[in-house]
Amino acid sequence: MYQDFKYLISDGVCAIASPVSGDLFTKFCPRFIDGFVVTIELLALSSTLGFLLAVGLVLARMSGHRVLSIPANVFVYCFRGTPLLVQLWIIYFGIGSFGAEGLGPLWAFFKEPWLVGLLVLTLNTSAYVSEILRGGLVNVDKGQAEAAMAIGMSWFQSMRRILLPQAIRIAWPAYGNELVLLMKGSALISTITVLDLMGQTRTIFARNFDLTTYLYATVLYLVLAGLITLFVVAIERRFARNLR
Amino acid sequence: MVETNGAAYLSVEGLHKSFDTLDVIKGVSFSGQEHEVISLLGASGSGKSTILRCINLLEIPTRGTIRIDGEKLPLKQREHGMAISDQKALSAIRARLGMVFQQFNLWVHMTVLENVIEGPIQVLGIPKDEAIAKAEALLDRVGIAHKKDAYPSQLSGGQQQRVAIARTLAMDPKILLFDEPTSALDPEMVGEVLSVMKDLAAEGRTMVVVTHEMAFAREVSDKVIFLHQGKIAEEGTPDQVFGAPQTAECQQFLAKVL
Repeated sequence: MYQDFKYLISDGVCAIASPVSGDLFTKFCPRFIDGFVVTIELLALSSTLGFLLAVGLVLARMSGHRVLSIPANVFVYCFRGTPLLVQLWIIYFGIGSFGAEGLGPLWAFFKEPWLVGLLVLTLNTSAYVSEILRGGLVNVDKGQAEAAMAIGMSWFQSMRRILLPQAIRIAWPAYGNELVLLMKGSALISTITVLDLMGQTRTIFARNFDLTTYLYATVLYLVLAGLITLFVVAIERRFARNLR
Repeated sequence: MVETNGAAYLSVEGLHKSFDTLDVIKGVSFSGQEHEVISLLGASGSGKSTILRCINLLEIPTRGTIRIDGEKLPLKQREHGMAISDQKALSAIRARLGMVFQQFNLWVHMTVLENVIEGPIQVLGIPKDEAIAKAEALLDRVGIAHKKDAYPSQLSGGQQQRVAIARTLAMDPKILLFDEPTSALDPEMVGEVLSVMKDLAAEGRTMVVVTHEMAFAREVSDKVIFLHQGKIAEEGTPDQVFGAPQTAECQQFLAKVL
């Protein structure tokens, strides 16, 4: 069903693009679009899951309980402090090297480059987003928390109902930036054999050694950046209505 | 946890508060009865706002005991000052103490109506439709029902403060705490907020008011407490304190502000 939908999109885009683009694009169009869709899928999933994880991380970090805040801080420090490429390779090639015997039932997960790519992108972005949210929380006016406490809300209630919703609004432009960085970073998952937009581009280039291949990839990445920007600005407008 | 203490509705005994080495409150005791309005007066830095913030534990006292309707605030003595001993009990007590802030502190991401129903729904667990009906009635009372779908940033200061009062009233508080409720307002808006507060006093609400509005304090209060450098310098009926102040500090203060 979903697969049929993707074929439909691919056929439609290629039918429209063929007359106006070069021969190379026309020839490899379904591959480009397929990679484009894989990149979008990974971004949509990793940004959503990463955001949810980031909320958990920032709650743990701000909780004032060391059992929670120390592990969360170590996690964020490690994932912000190392290159995404290293994280990908350690988890895919490193953990993957234990194989079926070493990993047991986990092997089913770690042998799939797409799943490992999703995992690493999710963990990586969650570390950054938790830091972005923390910055937002610090900048929420102190009176907002006092009003929540004074009315009898628990710490968790005031976080969930008052502070985090405002922190997200404050941090939104920085979060938009992180989405674009995540999109660009996602190209690295082509190094663990995922056929995302970059992966497909490399395959196509290997067939024809025509450097315009990368030009088409550039255009598609810019289209993606444009879509992300439109999304970010649309949400920003909604927020702007009610924040002074 | 519950200890009764005679008939006093609110009692503060031997309250001390220090910020690091700075002693802000140096042993303050007072009590009030139900339906009484107590005004705390004093120059800035005299500690009057800090006392108010200690009553609902937005500030943790260094020493002292506070009782609300016989119930002792859940504090335990530590090596340096005190700490909250029971978060649940604290939340329950705070829910019964309404606080109105100088800077209004309406939640900026919520509409006026959402601000007023938030506490009743989240803290008291009242059904949403019931909370909305009550909120609308309260907003109508403070004269702001027509703005219920506006965001705080779209309201004037006086309107925001009236919404903040409605938000507090929606919790059916036992005691209302006002922390300089008109100090951040433009002069032409002070009257609208004071008139709402006068109505509340007239209907027998128990109120503790930190204010610079001397005329209001004199007209509405049952008891006036004048603070000087973290201690009570003078305490009595409005006529006593305003009409015949005993201490030099209070005489000087009144000479300046009246």
